[in-house]
Amino acid sequence: MSEMDYTIENKDQEAQVRMTGRLTFNDHAKLRALIKEMLSNPAKRQILDLGALEFVDSAGIGMLLIAREELSNLDKQFVLRKATGQVKRVLTVAQLGKLITIEE
Amino acid sequence: MNEAHRPAGTGRQDAKSTLADLRDARVMVVDDNRVNRHLLLALLERGGITRVELAEDGVDALDKIGTFKPDLVLLDLMMPNLDGFEVCRRLRAEPIYADLPVLVQSSLNRAEDRNRAFSAGATDYVSKPINAVELLSRVRIHIQNRMLLRSLQHYRHRTAAELTLARKMQERLMPQAPQMEKVRCSHGLSLSAHFAPSSELGGDFWGMRCDDRDRLVLWLVDFSGHGVGAALNTFRLHAILNQFDFTGFDPATFLGLVNRRLCPLLPTGQSATVLAGVIDATENRFLYASGGATRPMAWHPGDKAPTLGDNSGMPLGFSSSATYENRALDLGRDGRLFLYSDAAVELPIGNNEILDEAGLEALVIEHMGERDDETFLRRLLVSLSAKGEYEDDLTALTVTRER
Repeated sequence: MSEMDYTIENKDQEAQVRMTGRLTFNDHAKLRALIKEMLSNPAKRQILDLGALEFVDSAGIGMLLIAREELSNLDKQFVLRKATGQVKRVLTVAQLGKLITIEE
Repeated sequence: MNEAHRPAGTGRQDAKSTLADLRDARVMVVDDNRVNRHLLLALLERGGITRVELAEDGVDALDKIGTFKPDLVLLDLMMPNLDGFEVCRRLRAEPIYADLPVLVQSSLNRAEDRNRAFSAGATDYVSKPINAVELLSRVRIHIQNRMLLRSLQHYRHRTAAELTLARKMQERLMPQAPQMEKVRCSHGLSLSAHFAPSSELGGDFWGMRCDDRDRLVLWLVDFSGHGVGAALNTFRLHAILNQFDFTGFDPATFLGLVNRRLCPLLPTGQSATVLAGVIDATENRFLYASGGATRPMAWHPGDKAPTLGDNSGMPLGFSSSATYENRALDLGRDGRLFLYSDAAVELPIGNNEILDEAGLEALVIEHMGERDDETFLRRLLVSLSAKGEYEDDLTALTVTRER
């Protein structure tokens, strides 16, 4: 089971974070580090590309909500993009789209 | 024995605590030579160790050890009556002396003598003639290790005892067999439940209550995360639910109200998926609302597959303005309802894959013909365990309408 990992790439006015592996309860420390990086990143729009994320649990969703809250405190936009499979199902069931912008 | 240890987990090993360790430490010197015994005694005292007992051979040492209770034994090897090798072996055969540091001091200096001493159970070895500085340093290290190990063991035992108690408290949050039996008699509803936290405590629980129209209300809750943090949240929510007025119960209204009560108590990032519903025997249905729970399943005898209900809805704790929707599953006479936490669908089955909804449904189809719900649940759980090992808390609940 591969742990969550990520890379960040700045493009135009956007920061693109590509997430891979499985985002769970165990990745708390790593996601905190990612949120810190996104907060200090100058781009206004922080895009989280979930295309290569294999799995997310409810604690993982909770961490995405923390990211949204902290980014919006700094007036930054947070967007989830390209979720597929289990990740997409979990986001849909939890109606996360009502709280975070979700793009295809 | 001195039981005044430093609090565990501070990780501090400063000069002060080292001195305190040595002052309180009890050392037994075992040597058949009187001059050596007193030489070692003087040396230990000079190093700050004052609680010393002397023994003149192996037999004398084993006689005195039970009452003196040393923290370290300085042991000679060549002695009449009972030699040091045998003393070591006999000590290690006793569980209470398994971790006792035994520092062998001997004039036998060949490699095979050392090996023999170590395989008999010696912790460390110093050669005679004694080098005072070396001996004291080794004694200090072993005593410190001993004290540290003991405070960790103490901490572990205390934590284990507390967790066992907390686990029992958590189990009592859930309906017990006599209550379930009562519902069977009064409502003709047979219930079977399974609750298995992935560690001592879990973030799942379920409950039931009768509303003012004597309908059975059920809920199954799964807090994000697991372990102690998630468990504390189950107690919080249980307290909220206990005060709830079940008059004119309506699942969607219920979830909305519970969510509004819970939101201010939960920090961002913590949440609970929940399914709450009511078995309405006159309408032959299970009316429910879901906050991101797993899909409820229902079926009747003769069905080829279960019907899966809609489960979309915001988990509790996401947003205090969340609203919920009522949905229904047919549940006529002899119908059965199956509720479960997400550990069942998120079960890892190897190859980086999870069982998923379809996989769980296939297992349910395999066992859904079982006449009584207890057998159904037991067989289903056996099949699940054969597929993989849970990483999360698992709660599962079945209800069968017997009339």
